[in-house]
Amino acid sequence: MTAVELALPTTTSQDRDHPVQPRSDRGAWKRRAPLLPALVFTIAVTQVPFLLTVFYSFQSWNLVRPGSQHFVGLRNYVDVFADSQFRGAMLNTVVLTVVCVLVAMLLGLGLALLLDRAFLGRGVVRTLLITPFLILPAAGALLWKTTMFDPTYGLLNFVLGGETDWLSEFPLASVMAQVVWQWTPFMMLLILAGLQSQSKEVLEAAQVDGAGRWRTFASITLPQLSRFLQLAALLGAIYVVNSFDAIFLMTQGGPGTASTNLPYYIYQRAFEGFDIGQSSAMGVIVVILTMIVSTFTLRLMFRAFDVSGGVR
Amino acid sequence: MSVSTTWPAARGANRSRRAGGRPRRQGLLSWVALHSLGLALGLMFLLPFVFVLLTAFMSDQQALTATLWPREWHPENFAEVFTSAPMLRYLGNSLLYAVLATAGMLLSSVPAAYALARLRWRGSNLAFLLVIAAMLLPPQVVAVPLYSLWANNHLTGTLWPLIIPYFLGDAFSIFLLRQFFLTVPQDYLDAARVDGCSELSVLVRVLLPMVRPGLAAASLFTFLYTWNDYFGPLLYTGEAQQSWTLSLALASFRGAHRDTQWNLTMAATIVVMLPVILLFLFAQKSFVRGITFTGVK
Repeated sequence: MTAVELALPTTTSQDRDHPVQPRSDRGAWKRRAPLLPALVFTIAVTQVPFLLTVFYSFQSWNLVRPGSQHFVGLRNYVDVFADSQFRGAMLNTVVLTVVCVLVAMLLGLGLALLLDRAFLGRGVVRTLLITPFLILPAAGALLWKTTMFDPTYGLLNFVLGGETDWLSEFPLASVMAQVVWQWTPFMMLLILAGLQSQSKEVLEAAQVDGAGRWRTFASITLPQLSRFLQLAALLGAIYVVNSFDAIFLMTQGGPGTASTNLPYYIYQRAFEGFDIGQSSAMGVIVVILTMIVSTFTLRLMFRAFDVSGGVR
Repeated sequence: MSVSTTWPAARGANRSRRAGGRPRRQGLLSWVALHSLGLALGLMFLLPFVFVLLTAFMSDQQALTATLWPREWHPENFAEVFTSAPMLRYLGNSLLYAVLATAGMLLSSVPAAYALARLRWRGSNLAFLLVIAAMLLPPQVVAVPLYSLWANNHLTGTLWPLIIPYFLGDAFSIFLLRQFFLTVPQDYLDAARVDGCSELSVLVRVLLPMVRPGLAAASLFTFLYTWNDYFGPLLYTGEAQQSWTLSLALASFRGAHRDTQWNLTMAATIVVMLPVILLFLFAQKSFVRGITFTGVK
């Protein structure tokens, strides 16, 4: 899985730091012992709820009918996949995640390239551009709902004219606009850090050798950025897949289920429909989907840029 | 692609002059194009805030109209936010949640991250994988078993179901701290051990002072995440208004007053935004270092 490859970039330095130590094993364990409980405990605590969810997903259990809990095998999964609302929510989640991560990264890349240059007031501009990432997501969602999309007072209709009710005519696109707005600064910060870690000598050498701007960007800057881009895509995908606030506050998943994503649908089924069995089955599916989407997004992107290999 | 135009104009101009071809005017043109692009993008990101700020100063009536500039300025709207809703209580709740969660994260995740970074045993890779898996887990997935656990202990309606888990370890922070711990050369730690330090005092006396930026970044992330959290408080305290956090209060601020008092809603939005923006301005450096450290060498 790509997430894991990413997460282990330091294996080599680790190996270097740990030459095979022929010390007595018992001594090593004595030193280790005080730390292990913390780790084991932590892992247990983070994994047990998920195992419980897996267990519930094989049960038929609705809180509205007390005593209804019994084992049904895979039936919840069959029901869930037969549920067209679930399939719609799944599709929305994929669209939301892929589009938002890609658009936010492209915008973030553009802004980072701008901010990488010296100009008057750069510090101020950078701070201002970061602001959307710092405000409460709940506040951001309300802010877009009222200031941008409102049919009567919203800025969009003020600028474009007309009486479009954005949130009911283009619910998913509206939510995506807000999510992109919220996440672009994060991508920008990360990519900017990547840009600023470039060595100036290499860039100047490329210029002296007569490489054009586009050429320099494509063959020096982009490969250098690839790790940063991967990381940005991975972290972005993890968070965007879980988008809840924006949907809950802007559209309530509607109209109908037009903008319902999986986290919101699970929440509805579990805490408004009280169907524990089915919502758990959906949860398990979401976990699998999260892993697939984050892997897929990365693969796709790096095939497009063709920068994945060879650098450092 | 627009990217190609974003090289320093001066450098670009030099290059084309040296190449002996293009006139200098192109450098100027791309400079103008670049700055207008930057300005447009910047405006796109800022416009909503400007609108919020202006609306926050309007009178009740004017806030209902589609005008942009306040006819009269009403700074007292900001004071009214605090009198019309128990904002200080919500602020206190948000702080309680964010500060205790951050403290709990440091207590629990530092030893776990150290064990993952420095101790090798059979299964240490599996342990690390499990931490990553927990990081990928959407909170909604495990909400049901956790909710029933807290309900059985009569803690729903308070913020404790959100705070206590941080004292048991937080997957993202463990991951982040591990990456920082790996940057400290093993020799330092070995030297301390030769001098007779126990593993615990190696951690506390030698390692922690060396990874202070890492601790700052992990704290900042945890603080920001819990401060921003909407789903958690909604799930556990939705019915119990005395435990609401700012996120929840802000969303309901508008609900409770319907669409009539937009100026107050906007003023409340600004009141809620300010602390985090101030925090970020103070801690910008370690924040950036934090996100770049999570995966990049």
